[in-house]
Amino acid sequence: MTDAIQKPEKKKSSLLQLDARTRTRNAAETRFKAYGMIAIAFGLLMLSILVFNIVTRGAGAYQQTFVALEVELLAGKLDKKGNRDLDDIKKVSTFGYTPLLSNALEAKVIELGIETDLKAKKMVGILSKSAAAQVRDYVLNNPNKIGETIGFEFLASSRVDGYLKGRVNRDSIGNDKNISPAQLDLVDALKAEGSLAKRFNMSFITGSDASDARPEAAGMGTSMIGSFFMMLVVLVLALPIGVAASIYLEEFAPKNWITDIIEVNISNLAAVPSIVFGILGLAVFINYMHLPNSAPLVGGLVLTLMTLPTIIISTRASLKAVPPSIRDAALGVGASKMQSVFHHVLPLAAPGILTGTIIGLAQALGETAPLLLIGMVGFIASNPPDSIATGLLSPNSAMPAQIYEWAKRADPAFYERAWGGIIILLVFLVTMNTIAVILRRRFERRW
Amino acid sequence: MNDKNIMESHMGTTAIKISARDVQVYYGDNHAIKDVSIDIEDKTVTAFIGPSGCGKSTFLRCLNRMNDTIDICKVTGSIRIDDEDIYDRRVDPVQLRAKVGMVFQKPNPFPKSIYDNVAYGPRIHGLAQNKADLDEIVERALRRGAIWNEVKDRLQSPGTGLSGGQQQRLCIARAVATEPEVLLMDEPCSALDPIATAQVEELIDELRQSFSVVIVTHSMQQAARVSQKTAFFHLGNMVEYGETGQIFTTPQDPRTESYITGRIG
Repeated sequence: MTDAIQKPEKKKSSLLQLDARTRTRNAAETRFKAYGMIAIAFGLLMLSILVFNIVTRGAGAYQQTFVALEVELLAGKLDKKGNRDLDDIKKVSTFGYTPLLSNALEAKVIELGIETDLKAKKMVGILSKSAAAQVRDYVLNNPNKIGETIGFEFLASSRVDGYLKGRVNRDSIGNDKNISPAQLDLVDALKAEGSLAKRFNMSFITGSDASDARPEAAGMGTSMIGSFFMMLVVLVLALPIGVAASIYLEEFAPKNWITDIIEVNISNLAAVPSIVFGILGLAVFINYMHLPNSAPLVGGLVLTLMTLPTIIISTRASLKAVPPSIRDAALGVGASKMQSVFHHVLPLAAPGILTGTIIGLAQALGETAPLLLIGMVGFIASNPPDSIATGLLSPNSAMPAQIYEWAKRADPAFYERAWGGIIILLVFLVTMNTIAVILRRRFERRW
Repeated sequence: MNDKNIMESHMGTTAIKISARDVQVYYGDNHAIKDVSIDIEDKTVTAFIGPSGCGKSTFLRCLNRMNDTIDICKVTGSIRIDDEDIYDRRVDPVQLRAKVGMVFQKPNPFPKSIYDNVAYGPRIHGLAQNKADLDEIVERALRRGAIWNEVKDRLQSPGTGLSGGQQQRLCIARAVATEPEVLLMDEPCSALDPIATAQVEELIDELRQSFSVVIVTHSMQQAARVSQKTAFFHLGNMVEYGETGQIFTTPQDPRTESYITGRIG
């Protein structure tokens, strides 16, 4: 007790003065907040650079140069027998249509009084190689129009398009066999007369991929359908399997070493690189089960494997978040275990399950690596599927695979389309994530 | 129904509803209930008191086999309701729980409407033939839960929007809606304020007319107020069981006396 008396008396401090300890603590806190703000600012800066880059590079893909021409559908060339028999008309290939185009272009040049040394054959070089096919498709659909003069809007070739977008200039085409300065003069003249202009290009969103020679005709549409069918497969398989597995593991399974092992494995599965699922899909679905190559069905199956752990983990988390008192209440009034789960627990967990599923789907939508191995990359689907069965089973590409494919082609016109495709993909992902957030906000229940 | 009532009234208040013999409960290696034997009477409120962790809630949960939901829990001995062993292999706990209702410590209404909360039990047990039947059952249950007047105009509003005391009475109404024979209450007033507690206590006294009520409580005053019989649990043993008045005035066991006078607990 005597020690207490000898203790040095505590110095009297004023609340109005900060002591050294409080000052250091406050300084530390301020520093920490500053670090946090720097980190967030850095993140935002990177994000805005990314978005700016994507938009500036990709926006070009949504604009395309078109040439307006009146083409005379010469009966003598297209229907030599003159009986308008579709089978005979079909025998004329796109080469047969090219003269019509050069005639039309020449007529236009003369009509507008443009001076050029170019031969008509060379003039056609400013049009896309798809132009002849476009006329042919029109004729096959409207054989009665043969003999008339029809107004068409043709895609300009990718070089002309690049010239209007500033990607191609007179210095850069020195060694380019696809375009000459004289053709560019023609383009300038046509542009001045309003026959050639850049405008919004819907077919980039709805169209199919095109061969290396016609980047101007390539579009995302068909690969979007491929992605859609894959997501359909993923949703139909992964959601019920994932939810059923989680309910069983969370509510019914005994807690023992077997379920522990399963749990650890599911968590590990979520971290397995997606290419591993790709090679598994190749081995099992294609080599062993002989499902068709490059089919969205196989892609969907592979992505299902990849998405399952995500869905199971998020479903279990939302089941766990339902308070046990609800289960007790249900059991207390004599509900069976299954009734308590399906009547009470599952509805409460549903928003969380949906959110997890949408995020899993968004992940699967953007996945490229597994698709490499099952052949969905590099495939040029030129026609959209005409039924659900062909949609699932006929070869197709998927959005990220299509983007990858364009990015590795040599022509800078494809490069632009890759960026444009990324914009579409991002719009999808952002939309899905927004839906997930809205669902979570709206239906989340607090206890 | 009438015959049964007459018969029971002939038997008087001493008819045994639940009879437990040598009940042992283990949580893994932990011996939570040791050798408990007790006879619980029909149409009586029986209170279980004792310090925290003494096993009174555990024992209560044995009476409707809620402990089955805990994997590591093991119960031995015999518990008979109306002379039927509820731990018999042929007994389905789901059927048992329809007969032995339970009210929990924290009010836990389903996040559904007041009506659906009460109607859920009768629905899953098929007690109502049609909508009118169900309406009647719901009204009767809510009246018995002494909450009808407060909610009759908003049966479709969510049960979770009620105040704590109302929620608990709703839970009691939900429990009685399935026409149980025994009502177990696990500290039903611990989350309520004194006014709501008084309402629930009053309600318990009324429920005694129709059920055998077993209530676990931390409050000795509450046990004294609402129960006719009291059992004192300590460290997993049932130390003393008798008339409530006798337990609180002349306890036989020194541990009971220490507890009710506040020396242990």
